[in-house]
Amino acid sequence: MSDTVLLPKRLRAAEVVVALKDIGRRVESGPVTIDFRDVEEFDSSTLALLNYVRDRLTNVTTVNIGGALARAAESFVSRPPAVEPELPRSGNAAGRALTAIADRFIFQMRSLGRFLAMLGDEVYHVGVYLKERKGVYPGETWNQMFFMGYRSFPIVCLLIFLVGITISITSAEQLRLFGADIYLADLVGIAMLKELVPLMTGVILAGKVGAAITAELASMTVLEEVDALRTMGVVPEKFLMVPRLLAITLVVPLLVAMADVVGIFGGIVVARATFGTPPSAFIAEMVTAVDWTDFGWGLIKTVVFGWTVVVGSGFKGLTVGRSAEEVGRATTESVVLSITLIILIDCIFAFILY
Amino acid sequence: MDIISAHDLVVGYGRTEILRGLDFAVPEGRITAVVGVSGSGKSTLLKTLAGLLPPLSGGFDFAGRPVNYRSEASLRLLFEQIGVLYQGGALLNSLSLFENVALPIRMQHPKMPEDMVRDMVFASLAQVELAGSADKYPAHLSGGMTKRGALARALVLDPDVVFCDEPSSGLDPITSALLDDLLIRLKETFGMTLVVVTHEIRSIERVADRVLLINDGGLRFSGDYADLAAADDAFIRTFFLRKDSHDDA
Repeated sequence: MSDTVLLPKRLRAAEVVVALKDIGRRVESGPVTIDFRDVEEFDSSTLALLNYVRDRLTNVTTVNIGGALARAAESFVSRPPAVEPELPRSGNAAGRALTAIADRFIFQMRSLGRFLAMLGDEVYHVGVYLKERKGVYPGETWNQMFFMGYRSFPIVCLLIFLVGITISITSAEQLRLFGADIYLADLVGIAMLKELVPLMTGVILAGKVGAAITAELASMTVLEEVDALRTMGVVPEKFLMVPRLLAITLVVPLLVAMADVVGIFGGIVVARATFGTPPSAFIAEMVTAVDWTDFGWGLIKTVVFGWTVVVGSGFKGLTVGRSAEEVGRATTESVVLSITLIILIDCIFAFILY
Repeated sequence: MDIISAHDLVVGYGRTEILRGLDFAVPEGRITAVVGVSGSGKSTLLKTLAGLLPPLSGGFDFAGRPVNYRSEASLRLLFEQIGVLYQGGALLNSLSLFENVALPIRMQHPKMPEDMVRDMVFASLAQVELAGSADKYPAHLSGGMTKRGALARALVLDPDVVFCDEPSSGLDPITSALLDDLLIRLKETFGMTLVVVTHEIRSIERVADRVLLINDGGLRFSGDYADLAAADDAFIRTFFLRKDSHDDA
């Protein structure tokens, strides 16, 4: 004999969930009849319940669906309109996978081409600007220098100091085993000037400055400010990028010099605490291992990283789509792109320098 | 005389054609309304006419010269002759209203004396009744002030044609009507040509001398506003029916 579930007067989402649980339990024992006679208050979840019961539960009968509920049920469209199914691409699964990979590869190569074209354009724009001094808003380079320095100086100094301490502590233990305590100065000097300061500064610039540039330029693109510049006869790739490239070129030497000092200071602190090495002895030993060429290469590397960050983040900002959500995506992608390129370029520098 | 004439113009993005086979003319010294339902391609057409989006095929002449998207000189010439009022204003947030309006002058004429720049900016701001707000930043301007400020920027170098993308959108009826009056004044006082993209029936009725009605990927009507009523086209009647119902109310 059929089990009957009498639904309540008010049958909205909360009651539907309870009823569905009850129906599910009873249907396991045999046929169930759902009686809608008392239902007066209903919503779309009630209509979805009706559809669900009819489509999915074979052992269930619905009765006494009348009046407004019946009319609503007739007009309730719970399925998306039928669409023409997309015809499968020709070829087998492996062929389609290869095609998808090829499409992706072509897309990435095109992006790389556009990025390199933009890099070339920016070098040209900077050169033309330095010659003609027009096409850029007056004072914007100073604004950008302040912005980049203000954003980067404290965090670069703090992190490089901590890196200096960490690498010194790690190395000190090994050097002690060989009685080579004083060579900690050589190690810290070379590591800081040639590798760690440029790399860490580049990565921090990618996170702090690059992300901010992408977010700003992407917002300007979405808000049609970039289009507005173009129709004013302004070249956005020059107007927006040249001040940032000049600013990073001028700020990086200051950042690198400060970071070198702070990183080496971290080494001095550890040498003093671990081996009792006086700072003067540390510095005297360090200058036998490093010279101005090392500082110069570190500076050149960091300037290259800085340009990579600005061009990479500018590229992502100016090629963003038209929706607000793409601003966030572009910002994340710009940081990943910048850090990837920095490490790649650092690797190339390693082959050149060592 | 026609300042813009399009021949078999096809506009769209990538391989997607949005509007096909457009042949129309924009007469000098008049207001032409580009009209259509949302998503019909009005703003896409405006972008093409403003030099931002290359046509997929066909082309258009501006002031008697064909616009060549592959030539920087051709686009530069176009940009010197137009001003654009964008839907959201598109004022640069980092610059004050004065600096925003001065931007086209400073970029196109960097050697112009600062006193002249100042006079030109204030003359343009006075036209839109914003001279008293020159020091304000876009974040501190209302929607109507932002639109008027953006219009001042579009006008500051006295362009031959001003393109306006949905000038009334997001504005209350009074501010919207004031902006319409401003567009009419620009036409009547300075003989300026305006191309206004809109779907506001009241605004079309107030300002438009000519109408380009876009529908279903093409041009449904191109002619004087006065001739719309006589057009024997069900879509045109339906589109402009709202106007009648508003008027009755």
